[in-house]
Amino acid sequence: MNKLIRSAVLGTTAALALALVASVAPGTATATTLKEVKDKGTLVVGVKADYKPYGFLDSDGKIVGIEPTLAADVAKKLGVKLELVPVVSSNRMQFLEQGKIDLMIATMTDTPEREKVVEIVKPNYYSSGTNVMAPKKAKFKEWTDLKGVPVCGIQGAFYNRKTQEQFGADIVAFKGTAEALTALKQGRCVAFVYDDSFLISKLGDPEWADYDMPLKTIDDAPWGLAVAKGADKFAAFMSDMIKDWHKTGRILELETKYGVKNTPFALEMHEKYKGS
Amino acid sequence: MSRRPRNRPPVDLAGTTDLPVLLPAADSLARRAARERELGAALPRLDWRHGLVLLAVLLVSAGVAQAQAGAGREPVLEVLLRWMPVLLRGFLFNIVISFLAMAVGTLIGTWLGLMQISLLPPVRVGSWFVTQFFRNAPWLVLLFYCMFLLPFEFRIGGLVIPFPDWIKATIGLSLPVLANVSEIVRGAVNSIPSGQWEASESLAFNRRQILWMIILPQCVKRMLPPWMNLYAILTMATVLASIVGVSEMMTQAGRVLAAEDRPDLLIPIYSFVLLCFFVYCYPIARWTVALERRFQVKL
Repeated sequence: MNKLIRSAVLGTTAALALALVASVAPGTATATTLKEVKDKGTLVVGVKADYKPYGFLDSDGKIVGIEPTLAADVAKKLGVKLELVPVVSSNRMQFLEQGKIDLMIATMTDTPEREKVVEIVKPNYYSSGTNVMAPKKAKFKEWTDLKGVPVCGIQGAFYNRKTQEQFGADIVAFKGTAEALTALKQGRCVAFVYDDSFLISKLGDPEWADYDMPLKTIDDAPWGLAVAKGADKFAAFMSDMIKDWHKTGRILELETKYGVKNTPFALEMHEKYKGS
Repeated sequence: MSRRPRNRPPVDLAGTTDLPVLLPAADSLARRAARERELGAALPRLDWRHGLVLLAVLLVSAGVAQAQAGAGREPVLEVLLRWMPVLLRGFLFNIVISFLAMAVGTLIGTWLGLMQISLLPPVRVGSWFVTQFFRNAPWLVLLFYCMFLLPFEFRIGGLVIPFPDWIKATIGLSLPVLANVSEIVRGAVNSIPSGQWEASESLAFNRRQILWMIILPQCVKRMLPPWMNLYAILTMATVLASIVGVSEMMTQAGRVLAAEDRPDLLIPIYSFVLLCFFVYCYPIARWTVALERRFQVKL
């Protein structure tokens, strides 16, 4: 009997393992090439759907914003239909690797670790830095003033760790900005660490008149749109596309359209490519 | 020819009732009644008044939010109305996922449950192992497994079969369901008094006939209440899919909050989500209670 049980357990384990291997095997899709996109007739782009104004829902349930508009530009240039797939920080690179999306324009900060996994196209199309929003009466002057202070953040943001480890803040991470801002208002945290462009737009609102952005912006890091590793022709095409956006001032135009103050990075890139 | 003994626990008939399987229910009902007598009040059960409370929370929070927001902004209820189609379309997703996961889970789970009472030890032990494995794994972990291990499309020859996220979530959620259904089936079969087996055997039914024609029909009504309970639990667990990026109601609620960018909407929108789930699950809970009452012994 004991022997039988053992063999049965072994058999089941083997069957489970086999099922896992079988399910993984077809997942190794190859990089989408430019030709494949044209043959398919559809460009699938991963964008954010919870990050106003870069990618958010309108009340018809469609995804709109600065990045979806850029994606539409790409599809138009290729002469194919556009399909937007909402992604979140934790799955966007996986989707690209699997081939589920052909292109990712999803507020992703360009870091050397990420460049190893996906092909981040140069030049960078956008940039933002990290800052905190805090009540004026908190009187923060340096980042190190955050030591031991509860600070709200967004789950999955890369600067949470830095704020925690380097400056000693206690990060309380939330799902979205609405939740984090509510917590800030209720006093559950003393500051909110996030992208400076978002915070600037928020501080323009009279509701947040008692708050300010007291610290110096750090980590002004460029954002990268990405294609799968090995899709070199597609990357080259996207590189030209970005240069064109900077040249024509398309990004500045979209910032204005969606109510964001023109960022120094976008202005600088426009200056740089204007003459070319 | 001698037969091997059946895998069936001995049934203790030394009780006060001739319906031994219903003893636990009678017991718990008696305990509940005793507690209620002690308290001098009925213990709360989910009823329609809870729905009213939820609705009141929604309206009050909308009112408070409105007062906080000031005059210059769109009224909260109007915002809610505008986003209603988006949110309800998300909710439809929850229902579709719960239906499919329940269907798949029931189909496979029933077989697994029957395998658990098989006379062949390898089949019995194997199915027991699978059942225990999926029953004791956290739902979210199984969901993550399916999300990231299953491919987004299958290629069979030249044919490409897409495999969207919500189907993966359905498969992920059907795993714990099938394990629970397996246990429900096994328990129900074991709860049928042994006299039924002996009587049908004496009438020269073979094992398969006994199971399909005599035992299982009697099991159906015993399995119905726990099965419906499981469905209600599953429906509420479908919001887990929001963590893996499926566009169901919880995900959509988060996106709506991001798009509106108004912290005062937080409570009204989540209250609305709660209310939707209540309106859907409450009738199921009532129905389950009614069925349970019908199948229980009178006190």
